[in-house]
Amino acid sequence: MEWLEIFDVSLFRSVLRSTTPIALIGFGAAMCSAAGVLNIGLEGKMLNAAFVGIAASFYSGSALVGFISGVSAGVLTSLLFGLLSFKLGADEVLAGLAINIFAIAGTRYLLETLFERRGFFSDPSIKGIEPIHFDFLEGSRFELILSGFTPSVYFVFFLAIFLYYVYYHTRLGTSIRATGENPEAAEDAGINTVRIKWLTVIFSGVLAGIGGTFLSIENMTLFTEGMSAGKGYIGLVASSFGANTPLGTFGASMFFGLGDAIGIRLQGVYELDSRLVLMIPYALTVVVLILIGVRQRFRVRKVPIEKN
Amino acid sequence: MDKFSFKDVLILFAGLFLTGIFGWLILSITGHVPSEIAKLFFEGAFIGTRNLTNTLNAATPLILTAVATVVSFRVGMFNIGVNGSMYIGALYAAWAGYRFTTLSHFTHVSVCILIAIITGALWMLLPALLKVYAGVSEIITTIMLNFVAILFVSYMCNGPFRASPIAPSTPRILETAELKQYFPNSQFHTGFFIAVFVSILFYFILNKTTFGYELRSGGDGLVGFYPSRYSTYLGIPSDRSAIIGMLISGGLGGLAGAVEVLGSVRNFYQELFFNQGFDGILIAIIGKLEPIGGMISALFYGAMKNGGLYVDYKTDVSREIVVILISILIFFVSAQKIVKGLEKFEFVKRLDKLFSRKVR
Repeated sequence: MEWLEIFDVSLFRSVLRSTTPIALIGFGAAMCSAAGVLNIGLEGKMLNAAFVGIAASFYSGSALVGFISGVSAGVLTSLLFGLLSFKLGADEVLAGLAINIFAIAGTRYLLETLFERRGFFSDPSIKGIEPIHFDFLEGSRFELILSGFTPSVYFVFFLAIFLYYVYYHTRLGTSIRATGENPEAAEDAGINTVRIKWLTVIFSGVLAGIGGTFLSIENMTLFTEGMSAGKGYIGLVASSFGANTPLGTFGASMFFGLGDAIGIRLQGVYELDSRLVLMIPYALTVVVLILIGVRQRFRVRKVPIEKN
Repeated sequence: MDKFSFKDVLILFAGLFLTGIFGWLILSITGHVPSEIAKLFFEGAFIGTRNLTNTLNAATPLILTAVATVVSFRVGMFNIGVNGSMYIGALYAAWAGYRFTTLSHFTHVSVCILIAIITGALWMLLPALLKVYAGVSEIITTIMLNFVAILFVSYMCNGPFRASPIAPSTPRILETAELKQYFPNSQFHTGFFIAVFVSILFYFILNKTTFGYELRSGGDGLVGFYPSRYSTYLGIPSDRSAIIGMLISGGLGGLAGAVEVLGSVRNFYQELFFNQGFDGILIAIIGKLEPIGGMISALFYGAMKNGGLYVDYKTDVSREIVVILISILIFFVSAQKIVKGLEKFEFVKRLDKLFSRKVR
């Protein structure tokens, strides 16, 4: 069983790293979808955050400033999305699409005007966020598995549990679910549905900001054009696959992360065509979408119409 | 429901004006002289036969992708995957262009275009079926299929369809499969007339035929555009029209790819980059989801794009400025509340009555 050899500690670490951005976006998307907002614009928010994060880190020489600026960029883009769709009555999907296209073109424009680069940007003076090493694990067998990740990787686990609690055990979580399931009833029960939608969209902006800075200054210190590469959409699929619940979304993100990591490893072992390997995450998403379809098909039973 | 009402036109021009201000601001902030850039921009888009024909050439695939988007949005399917269909159609048009050697000019071109339309339409079959029979959002499916399409065509022209070991590209298409280019130093070709014909054809199909009515009323509609949930009650098979609309949309995307390959590039190579599918969505929205409106705004966008290329070539302003400005324009145009807010003003109401045309 030669292929079993790829399942080792480094694969595990690689899975966690690939899962992190997808899960961050997925949690944001799950909260938005639970409140009935289809947030297509997450991709653009992530890309904006990635660019602003690396630019701020480059100019200030501080990873913290980069991180805060990146997250603010994600939140600002969210505010634009909210303004368009909740205040100005634009269609959510159109607003999201326009934001994504705006982000791709905008980051490319700034990349060329500010740094005079095309394609990618990397510089030794960019400070990345350092991985955390736990001293008490040193020398133990858990060191390889648990220590030495960047902060976001641990944050994702914390977030999954935190959101699980909020989603099921607080008034806020109930309000979010009610807003998505039956807005009129929620309004009648005294819930301000527009405020709940704003809240979820801004929350998803914060997470997209963290996800974006994870890509550009945490996992690597590098920015490439369109570096979010569909992760915003994959996050949406993950939340949909996980039925918009925190833990379900986390599991689905892990699944995508696993596919991603296995693809990278297989490329090393078997010399697969790189294009086919790059296709794995997207093809996997399509397969998952088909699975979601099958599940919905079996869940929704048609009510027979009685004949007179 | 009235379309092409005065307030929509007003919004469009107000949006253009505001977008112009944004463009001026962006250019000033990044240290350029806006008036000079604008002059170069206009020159690159319209002055001289070469620039003008290049503008029309840039508009050719955009018209087709815009009509593709119009059809899918009007049946209530958010097809974001026109770009993927375009890649697939282009690849198979290139394949048919070199594979069939014994055909006459007209038949060969027709065969290539037909194959591109069919493959482009089939690429959209899965999202359509998933949406109609299982309720999976077609938006996400089509977006994911865009990524798959790019990598798939890149794999195909590296592997099975590769011509020489040196370059990852298909062989050049035969002369019998080429669409004629009319001017030296410009790639303006017969495809432009095909595109114009298609947009007029779809104007008639959508607005003047029973089939078009079934298509239009088939979808559940967009929130801001054509809300219509009544088709099922009228006995129109909305599932069928949703699938057909999606297939037509994919087919037109494939046609756009075929026209690009047969008219402009003449072979399919790995670095061939299409973005017209995404641009088509923006264009269709600016054109108020009407085929003719889509054609007009595609010509406008083509001029912007070509002007942007000229500015990029002459100065150090990036061509991305065009896409940035267009997406800002979309922010304004898609904001329905601004349109509604205009109704407060008496003169808008009066002019609206004068200019609107009742359609339904």
